[in-house]
Amino acid sequence: MPTTWLILAIAALAALGFVAGRARAMTSAGGDARRLHSLPAYYGWNVALTVLTPALGLFVLWMLVQPFLVDRHVTGLIPDSAIGQGSSRGLVMSDVRRVAEGLSVLEARGADADDIAAMTPEALQDEMAAVGVALGTPMTPAVKAAAEAYRAETDGWRTWMGVAVLAAALGGLALSWRMTDKDFRARNTVERGILFMLLGAALVAILTTLGIVLSMLFETANFFEAYPWQKFFLGTNWAPDFRGNSELAILPLLWGTLYISLIALLVAVPIGLFAAIYLSEYATKRVRTLAKPAIEILAGIPTIVYGLFALITVGPMLRDWLAQPLGFGNSSSSVMTAGLVMGIMLIPFVSSLSDDIINAVPQSLRDGSYGLGATQSETIKQVIVPAALPGIVGAILLAASRAIGETMIVVLGAGAAAAQFNQGLGEVVNPFQAMTTITVKIVSQLTGDTDFSSPETLVAFALGLTLFVITLGLNVLALWIVRRYREQYE
Amino acid sequence: MNDMRLIDRKTTMNEIKIAAEGVDVFYGESHALKDVSVDIEERTVTAFIGPSGCGKSTFLRCLNRMNDTIPTARVTGRITLDGEDIYAPSVDPVQLRAKVGMVFQKPNPFPKSIYDNVAYGPRIHGLSRNKAELDEIVENSLRRAALWDEAKDRLAEPGTGLSGGQQQRLCIARAVATAPEVLLMDEPCSALDPIATAQVEELIDELRQNFSVVIVTHSMQQAARVSQKTAFFHLGHLVEYDDTDTIFQNPRDTRTESYITGRIG
Amino acid sequence: MTDMTAGAAPVRGTLVADAHTRKRNASEKRFRLYGAIAVSLAVIALVFLLTSIVRNGAGAFMQTYISLDVTLDAAKLDKSGNRNPVEMAKVTTFGYAPLIKDAMASTIAANGIEIEGLDKPEDLISKEASAQMRDVVLANPELVGETRRFEFVADGRIDGYYKGRVTMQSAERDSNVTPAQLRFADALKEAGLLETRFNWNFITWPDASENRPEVSGLGVAILGSFYMMLIVLGLALPIGVAASIYLEEFAPRNRLTDLIEVNISNLAAVPSIVFGILGLAIFINFVGLPQSAPIVGGLVLTLMTLPTIIITTRASLTAVPPSIREAALGVGASKMQTVFHHVLPLAGPGIMTGTIIGLAQALGETAPLLLIGMVAFVREYPSAPPEGFFEPATALPVQVFNWTQRADPAFIERASGAIIVLLVFLFIMNAIAVVLRRRFERRW
Repeated sequence: MPTTWLILAIAALAALGFVAGRARAMTSAGGDARRLHSLPAYYGWNVALTVLTPALGLFVLWMLVQPFLVDRHVTGLIPDSAIGQGSSRGLVMSDVRRVAEGLSVLEARGADADDIAAMTPEALQDEMAAVGVALGTPMTPAVKAAAEAYRAETDGWRTWMGVAVLAAALGGLALSWRMTDKDFRARNTVERGILFMLLGAALVAILTTLGIVLSMLFETANFFEAYPWQKFFLGTNWAPDFRGNSELAILPLLWGTLYISLIALLVAVPIGLFAAIYLSEYATKRVRTLAKPAIEILAGIPTIVYGLFALITVGPMLRDWLAQPLGFGNSSSSVMTAGLVMGIMLIPFVSSLSDDIINAVPQSLRDGSYGLGATQSETIKQVIVPAALPGIVGAILLAASRAIGETMIVVLGAGAAAAQFNQGLGEVVNPFQAMTTITVKIVSQLTGDTDFSSPETLVAFALGLTLFVITLGLNVLALWIVRRYREQYE
Repeated sequence: MNDMRLIDRKTTMNEIKIAAEGVDVFYGESHALKDVSVDIEERTVTAFIGPSGCGKSTFLRCLNRMNDTIPTARVTGRITLDGEDIYAPSVDPVQLRAKVGMVFQKPNPFPKSIYDNVAYGPRIHGLSRNKAELDEIVENSLRRAALWDEAKDRLAEPGTGLSGGQQQRLCIARAVATAPEVLLMDEPCSALDPIATAQVEELIDELRQNFSVVIVTHSMQQAARVSQKTAFFHLGHLVEYDDTDTIFQNPRDTRTESYITGRIG
Repeated sequence: MTDMTAGAAPVRGTLVADAHTRKRNASEKRFRLYGAIAVSLAVIALVFLLTSIVRNGAGAFMQTYISLDVTLDAAKLDKSGNRNPVEMAKVTTFGYAPLIKDAMASTIAANGIEIEGLDKPEDLISKEASAQMRDVVLANPELVGETRRFEFVADGRIDGYYKGRVTMQSAERDSNVTPAQLRFADALKEAGLLETRFNWNFITWPDASENRPEVSGLGVAILGSFYMMLIVLGLALPIGVAASIYLEEFAPRNRLTDLIEVNISNLAAVPSIVFGILGLAIFINFVGLPQSAPIVGGLVLTLMTLPTIIITTRASLTAVPPSIREAALGVGASKMQTVFHHVLPLAGPGIMTGTIIGLAQALGETAPLLLIGMVAFVREYPSAPPEGFFEPATALPVQVFNWTQRADPAFIERASGAIIVLLVFLFIMNAIAVVLRRRFERRW
């Protein structure tokens, strides 16, 4: 792989630079390290970093930009006639890329380049299928030509990249080597370089958020070009149809999400809160050392485990013992199943946050209440909980945001059918009814064969953005409340 | 020091309110209080003095069983309130604490309104039959704590918004509102400035009309100013207990004298 | 003094609980009981969840095997007769299936087994068996012509019969198995040709198709998860530590720092599925990385793990007392030297603990991996890194999801078994974290 060699070459240059820089510094000081401004290794590092930084920076930039330029140029080469009925330029382009990839595979297996160039598209397609590169549609001559152009351009640019990157590395080496002198402040320079790297690492957090927002924003914009936003936000029916005429309204999904989250919170908040109170105020040391880790284990269990638990244990149990005898239906995936299991998942979340918050209430308030002759429960109910209330509210909001964004439990426990508003209220509020959520639909619209030009796929990004906005709002509010609460007792 | 008060002090014999006999306290392994016997009189201010860690606060917390809230604490010996053993198994510490109120070192108003702070005790103990009675209790308590004039227009505001001295007086009003017979004060002025301290001390002197007050203090001057009886604790022992005048002017024990004159502590 | 109270002992103690206090004490007891119930409910839920998974999944680690003497007929397997593996490879698995059928018939005859209504006795053996036999023969061409004892994996239904999943009653209604076949299996067991024992293949074999649950395994998934963990460790640890050092030791108090802080605390609470959308849109559609590849999964999980690592690393950096920094600065070390020579090594154990906990979280994460194509059906083991990072693979939790979507109930057992494997990994990681914390924890 030439890329591997390129990186190895840069690394070798950096190592060489380290040794050379160190040696030059020592020479300039007449072999006496005490006469140098910095320790000798810093001169070496200075040279090595000056080699690495511009070369690798250029490399990464080039790798990101090149596919764009090549894509744009090659796309222009495809004649309109080569784009079949029901296809698009984008789809043809993905064929082109696939063929180009197949050509590389063939050449890697020792096929002669001239032979391939002479082959008819059909023969080439068979040849490729034999080495495991299958194509969905028959290859046209235009696609073959475009693929060859694609490959030639990619290879050409790659060579140039190698030259440019090596030149950058050598330039850095020469420049920093010349700078190296016994009075050069190598340590300060190296430290400034490291500081920038540290800053760069910290900026990853911002880049991630930016990436999340931008990736969803662009595709959401595409979605709203293909589907009116009024119908998305205000419609009442979810019925995707890949043949067209889909109804893609968020309300039924939002209802399912909120309903399940509500049940989850109804389970998790009382249990979590009472458990936190019991463990921090009443439990003996022994009970605490046993029960606290047990509850924390619940927090460490992956959500897929809860999902499976809902699917194979809780769902059938609720159906056989409650839903069927009471005549509420006979679906094992239901709002209740998902809500109950999600509630269990959230217990440790509520209890550990509440525990922190209750412990932040100063002991003096407890003493004050006991000193007046209040019982422990009176103290908890009338002094501690009211004092901790903002913090507890914050904890519940965080738990709600977790519940709304939870995916695996609802994928496996809640079912795939969207709430049917036109079936009457009874169907919509029946907790033993299967009901789908925003996250379930994001998964189902984006897995399998997806076509990034149809609204049925793009709607997932609009759903994702809505989900992101809702959870972000809840988090920001919750964190603000909790922070204000903590400041009160600091 | 306020010599006038020292001379004016009335030293008439009062009835015994609390009697402690041979009290020992252990915190886990450590023996915090050793064989303490003391009689606390009615309508008297009794001061507990001594260097840090001498056991005076520990003993104070025995008197309303606040030590019960510390899991490792163990109390032996006999303490009676009006002749009734407060550590008897039948005794409910909740009811005891309603009779023996407590004010703490740091003002600790609940994060509630001023009114609710004072009304908290009467409410949990069911001392009032209706809102009007409760209002009356709150007003009387605040008056007794000399806070009524400052607080009457802001009863609905949070108690935490008051100044330090006002907060401590609010805590005193809160303790008074449950109609206790004894009031325990654990260094009530240590977190206050001199002016607020003077106000609280004046208040303590007035409270003596209705309650027996036990005050733990770090300051000998304060003990001399407010108390009629003084107990000196040292290393977990009750060294000397007598009229305040006697303790300060004519101590029997050399340790007491060393402490009074500033050589230990 | 004391005699003043003597003889005045009240008949009924005023300190003893009166009616009002008794009511309050009862309410106290009730409240306490609610708390105890809440704790018990949480613990019961945990126990119920774990036992349900273990009960359902333990079977996956056991497998029923059937031993048969198969005559490797040269006329069928090597028509040219020169034992050339290339020519022999032209015989597909369909050419091997009759051999098993013949072997079954001769076994029945040799053991004198007579079962009324027995049809297709060879269905007792997994459909994968002929492929496995072919692999053995192609690797050892000299075996052709001999009669050799092979141990085959039994069909999923037969396996289920010995695990209680399949009964005579259910077989009546099942198109894939008949009661006669079950009775035949019992006869084979009596003859010592059928046994159920521990199943290492579950850990090592790759996934198998819809109707062959008995030969499906976690090999590819474990390898894929392992690759992703390598990527997460290689990226999240250095980036996370670097970011923490910057924020804790160097960052000036300004807008940019605040922005970074807000971003980190919010990223920690962004739903995981959103990270999947990010991976799909940026890493696959924009950068053009391959679908289903560990590299994409690793990158997505890195971004998800970063906040955890940053938060714990910062906590261990703040735990290093300022006196250490002052001591180093006092002898003329630069700020950077102070951090790298003194603060960072002292914070090391805390950082490691946080990293392991972050990795454990990442290992169990499922939702984002669904969106970047890790649900694909992959039977090929990815090759060694770095190439393997770019080849298709699955991941442990995704494999669980995959199996839950299949019709055969045998896959539910497999899914629960996979969960047990996943939980064992998580348990080991958390145990290491706890041990590290206990061993190296320093109280300042």
